[in-house]
Amino acid sequence: MTDAHGEDLAREANGSGFWMRSVAPIAATAAALALVPLWLGESRLLMGLAIAGLLFAAYAIAFNIIFGSTNQLFLCVGALAGIGGYATGLLTDRAGLPMPVGILAAAAAAGLVGGFISWVAVSRSLGVIFTGIVTLAFSLAFGNLLLGQRDLTGGETGLVIEAGTGTFLRQLVPPYYMFLALVVLYLVVYRVLHGSHIGWAFRAVRDDEITAELAGVNVARYRIYAGLIGSVMLGLAGALYAHNEGYIGPSTFGFGHVDVRVLVMLAFGGIGTLLGPVLGAVVFTILDEVLVGFGQLREVVYGALVVVLFLGFRRGFLPAVTSGFRRAGTWRSDDAPDRDESEMRS
Amino acid sequence: MLEVAGLSAGYSGQDVVHGVDLTVADGEAVTVIGSNGAGKTTLFKAVCGLLAPSAGRVAFDGSDITAMPAHRIARLGLAYVPAERHLFPQMSVRENLALGAFPRSPDRGTLDSVLALFPQLGERLTQHAGTMSGGEQQMLAVGRALMSRPRLLMLDEPTTGLSPKLAQNAYDALATLHDDGTTLLVAEQQVPLALKLADRGYVVENGRVELEGTTDMLERNPEVRRAYLGVA
Amino acid sequence: MTAVILDGIVLGLQFGLLGVGLTLVYGLGGVLNLAHGQLAVVAAVVVTLVSDTGTAAGVAVAAGLLAAGVLGLLLDSTLMQPVYRQRGESRVLLGLLLTLGVAFMIDGFLIWRYPTRGLSLNIGGGAIPILGVRMRSGSLLASAISVVAGIGLVAFFRGSKLGRAVRSVIQDEEGARLVGVDPAAARRLIFVLSGVLAGLVAVTRSMTSPVTVTAGIDFTILALIVTVVGGLGSVLGAFLAGILLGIVNTVSSFYIGTYVTTIMLLLAAVLTIVFRPTGLLGRRT
Repeated sequence: MTDAHGEDLAREANGSGFWMRSVAPIAATAAALALVPLWLGESRLLMGLAIAGLLFAAYAIAFNIIFGSTNQLFLCVGALAGIGGYATGLLTDRAGLPMPVGILAAAAAAGLVGGFISWVAVSRSLGVIFTGIVTLAFSLAFGNLLLGQRDLTGGETGLVIEAGTGTFLRQLVPPYYMFLALVVLYLVVYRVLHGSHIGWAFRAVRDDEITAELAGVNVARYRIYAGLIGSVMLGLAGALYAHNEGYIGPSTFGFGHVDVRVLVMLAFGGIGTLLGPVLGAVVFTILDEVLVGFGQLREVVYGALVVVLFLGFRRGFLPAVTSGFRRAGTWRSDDAPDRDESEMRS
Repeated sequence: MLEVAGLSAGYSGQDVVHGVDLTVADGEAVTVIGSNGAGKTTLFKAVCGLLAPSAGRVAFDGSDITAMPAHRIARLGLAYVPAERHLFPQMSVRENLALGAFPRSPDRGTLDSVLALFPQLGERLTQHAGTMSGGEQQMLAVGRALMSRPRLLMLDEPTTGLSPKLAQNAYDALATLHDDGTTLLVAEQQVPLALKLADRGYVVENGRVELEGTTDMLERNPEVRRAYLGVA
Repeated sequence: MTAVILDGIVLGLQFGLLGVGLTLVYGLGGVLNLAHGQLAVVAAVVVTLVSDTGTAAGVAVAAGLLAAGVLGLLLDSTLMQPVYRQRGESRVLLGLLLTLGVAFMIDGFLIWRYPTRGLSLNIGGGAIPILGVRMRSGSLLASAISVVAGIGLVAFFRGSKLGRAVRSVIQDEEGARLVGVDPAAARRLIFVLSGVLAGLVAVTRSMTSPVTVTAGIDFTILALIVTVVGGLGSVLGAFLAGILLGIVNTVSSFYIGTYVTTIMLLLAAVLTIVFRPTGLLGRRT
């Protein structure tokens, strides 16, 4: 672990490595995505889809930080984004707070909840299964809370959000660029985290927790950081979406709508890679639209994809394809923790 | 009865045992001695199917069992008592013994002979295995293995965690079994006990057979005496 | 109040039966089968399909249970094999993700193909008074079946050679192999059993309220909560937890409301995980 990662960091300190591995991919992606409105900019429907794509990319990057970096199975991506969305909606419309304050407060709220979950998971040494169950339970409880507290949340019918009308957030193209900026920001955050000592610690934790502990990495602290940062990102994205769309409901942030999709996107694009979440989001937003005529069968397709992708490719489909099947981390059946070479690229 | 040829095995691609040859004839008592980490346990696991060998062949009663899974080898009549015993902690002594006979139902006669060999088990038939002492668990582990009327009984360090007195008792029981005709293969760190029981022995170090011969020969061998019998 | 509690017990017995299948599969293979509820719904759908052809109710029910069992067999023989090849956390994670995917596949398919299907078994006969409360015969039959199933399970596990062999795999897999028990065969048996039990729950549930095609995910969540509270791997724990949670469910639904009730049940699972991960009767893993 030390050799390869050390080289990794050394290469980054060296100028050319830094450009190739961080700035170039992010810049290229940003540039490519920036062109999208030129081509779809007339249609409200298509622009809405494009924004949804970016939103999911943001979700996926956040989940990548929480799960991809420190193996915390947070099956509550939607719920955390939902905290952001509903909190800002209520704070701005009901409590009359200015929009920026509402948004930041909402993101902070999501961060606190997510950080708290991480803290609980870490203090009680909850493994994957228990973390997964706890977060799934939280997701469902949140959904029920939204449905039950009808006076506050509008229940089944959802919440109309006034704040933001008249601003650029409700226009056709500007919000797209805002979300693009968000995605770029999140990519930068991911890159910085991974390039720093925090990233090294993340990788250590993910690869071999016991060795990491012995090497002096405070596994607990890094898990909580990842949970906190990822959750703030989710809350922020959810909040911005709420003001952009002007309407949110329980299904907007439901498990079946958000979490399953994010899992598929990462399974495809690659867990623990920089651009994987974005690529996954782009591909699946398009696929989603293509399949819209199929109704419920779409669920079947997503389910099948989760099965096939996770079965075949431990760290994601794209990494397997791009680095050659042999080198990518397919599920291995021996006990020894293995080191994926594909991780070097992130 | 048991023929091991060129067996190599290990973990995560790394071999711990290299090219071991070993035979056990019908009715013999053979011992495998060596220090801690010599590879005895790995060797035994590879023979009885808990570990897949990386090279070599294992034949039991003429059939090739090299690639056979442990549960099928057990049904062929090879009973293995590992050092950790692997008893069923929330089951009673009676249930543990009954399972020893799986897939057959426990046979009254066999049960009686096992209880005759280990009377303390008879006093504790309803006690849960997990609450028993080390010595009692060892007896139960051997008793359970005997319930299947095995053709070959393999034991890995049966004296683990036992006081000298209990260890002697264990070997007395094994001697009785040997006298009654049960074929034994025992891996042991407590060399004097093993050499006294067995007819033949193999000295294994660093995963290889360093020495083999009758136990008389081994007892007189100066290197064995120096390394394992504490004689200068 | 007595009525509410009795209803709670009726419901609780079914909860228990639902949890038993899930807890067994976990105890044996370390796999949390998130498609468990779907097995129940498949059974319900098959029962209605077979009933439609005019066959007797008993045959239809048998067909439903068979279908669920076969589906369990199929899942274990195919998808679960790569999962079992993994160890430790990898296995848990892959198992969770694959069964989640399968759950969505089955759920989507059933809703698409039979959107209006629902199973409702009408048990005739008037109400029978129990402890001064008039209980519907449907509830009583459902409870009786659950109790008989529970007793049958206990008898199987404690009293039969095969049942003992299965328990041995849960308690010490390597020891089981050494005595000649094939853990893979045991897992397959239990997976099939869990399917049949899930189907049985769908059938008994339908005696008191309709089981619709969308109920799969709810069943899975309930099974999950019961399993966690009862202790992963414990059959008795699942029943105990089931009854307890059933009573909590009906009391809370009656006096407070459905959404809060669901939150409470979920909270019960979370609190168990945080403060007493082994659940009521689970063993230390």
